[in-house]
Amino acid sequence: MRLLRACLALIGLSFRRLWWSTNTLMLCFPLLGCGLFVLAATFRRQAYSGSQGFERFTEDVVLVLFSTFLLPIIALAYGTSSIGGDREDRTLLFLLMRPIPRSMILVSKYLATLPLVLGLTMGSFACYCGMAGSAGREAFFAFWQPILYLSLAYTSLFHLFSVFFRHATILALIYSLFMEWMLGAMPGVIKRLAVNFYGRSMMIELGNLDVPPNVLFAPVSAEIGAYSLWGITLGGLLLSIIAFGSREYHDLT
Amino acid sequence: MDLSFESVTKFYGPVIGVNNISFRVEPGVTGLFGANGAGKSTLLKLASGQLKPSLGKVLIGDRPAWSARAKRDFGYSPDANSFYESMSGREFVLTMTKLYGYSRRESHERTEQALEAVGMTDRAGRRIAACSHGMRQRIKLAQALVHDPPILLLDEPMTGIDPGGRREFKRLLAKLAEQGKTILISTHILDEVQDLARSMLLIARGRLIAAGTLEEVRRQIENEPLTVEVAAPQVQLLAACLIESGVVSALQINGNSITVRTAQPADFFRTLNDLVCQRQVEVQKLEVLDAGADAVFGYLTGSSSE
Repeated sequence: MRLLRACLALIGLSFRRLWWSTNTLMLCFPLLGCGLFVLAATFRRQAYSGSQGFERFTEDVVLVLFSTFLLPIIALAYGTSSIGGDREDRTLLFLLMRPIPRSMILVSKYLATLPLVLGLTMGSFACYCGMAGSAGREAFFAFWQPILYLSLAYTSLFHLFSVFFRHATILALIYSLFMEWMLGAMPGVIKRLAVNFYGRSMMIELGNLDVPPNVLFAPVSAEIGAYSLWGITLGGLLLSIIAFGSREYHDLT
Repeated sequence: MDLSFESVTKFYGPVIGVNNISFRVEPGVTGLFGANGAGKSTLLKLASGQLKPSLGKVLIGDRPAWSARAKRDFGYSPDANSFYESMSGREFVLTMTKLYGYSRRESHERTEQALEAVGMTDRAGRRIAACSHGMRQRIKLAQALVHDPPILLLDEPMTGIDPGGRREFKRLLAKLAEQGKTILISTHILDEVQDLARSMLLIARGRLIAAGTLEEVRRQIENEPLTVEVAAPQVQLLAACLIESGVVSALQINGNSITVRTAQPADFFRTLNDLVCQRQVEVQKLEVLDAGADAVFGYLTGSSSE
């Protein structure tokens, strides 16, 4: 009971620290920018109306803007800060000196991150879809699952980054903006190292989209994509727990 | 409850942080002394379970210090001054208390008790970012006390505290020691805890070079050089006799007193006794200038380097 109460207190503390952080403020800019882009495309250019509206919205907003840019940015903003923020502020020591097993500290931190990441990714996705009219609504119901799974997978992956690296945010930014793109463009199985590949694969099947006219892209089925994203989520979390549980931090004081 | 190190060695890659250290800290105040880089911080990090020993065991009671359960049995006040700066002192201590899993009401009660114990009740509402160094030290101590642990590990706890605050701090530590708590205080300023510590641990270059009460440690280094000031009306005669006896290695006359440096303290005091008793040399004042812990530490680290 005491441990549960301690973990709940830690979740509350971490949530408040993440929410009232500069990360939240900084995220407002890309979120607002994407919103303005969708609004402009919807109302000025009527881009998402007509028979091709769903495909265009999916290509412009869901695949390019949201799942490869905005979603990883939201996940890394909070995913790397939950442990990384305490490491950088040198307050992690105070948490490690409490009678909470390290594995539970990490899980609590992860759980504190989820409402923020899922709230912002699913919330903003729903908003953009709502703004785009019927094409957007269709896209929301088709793609909410891959968006959810991608959010979970990225959050888990970026937690792993923060366990291993002191300046995890920078590394995660490089990873999500360059490595993911590079890996995704690689031929054969190498592209399967990119988290986004599985989300894209799911979207192609769930949205009945044409496979991109690129012979290098061979998507997996939505089922395999979903399992893979769950695997990345749980595997990343497990690795983080193991690493955090045994790792000595020499930079705590 | 005891804190014990059993043949503990800690490597940082090829560098050795602490080298085969064994000791047991029992209830009361124990001072951990060492110069910067001596291994004090490593030792305290091992004791507080921040680091795992490469070899040997660090035990809080009978539990490894690294384990989460052991953390119920000690409170740790770090040297670093990092906090959740946007919180007030009270909020910070309350937050730390809640992380022990106490109920809301108990957390508030324990927070107020801890703040009262460190004399921060009336000032704890101030934001930590606006707190002085001394206030921060008190807040750190308060968060270490909230769960009433049997063992307290304090890293340089009196740094930045004014003399009045230090006296209060010492009184508090003495009171806690009277209650049977085991307190390990790391410091490089021996005066801070010399009058408080029932025992000392002296560490240099990663090795424990002496342990025990100040007197015991002094005895351990009986043959180490000593500086003594002797005031006498016949200072020239006294100086001549001491030089003649061959027990002094250096001697300086300052008006009516002489400052003597001896490498054989026992022989020196015997000779001085003979001079007073047999040759009627009058001695007005005899003061060992460096019998304090600082001097002991100086001797030991000096001898250790040799």
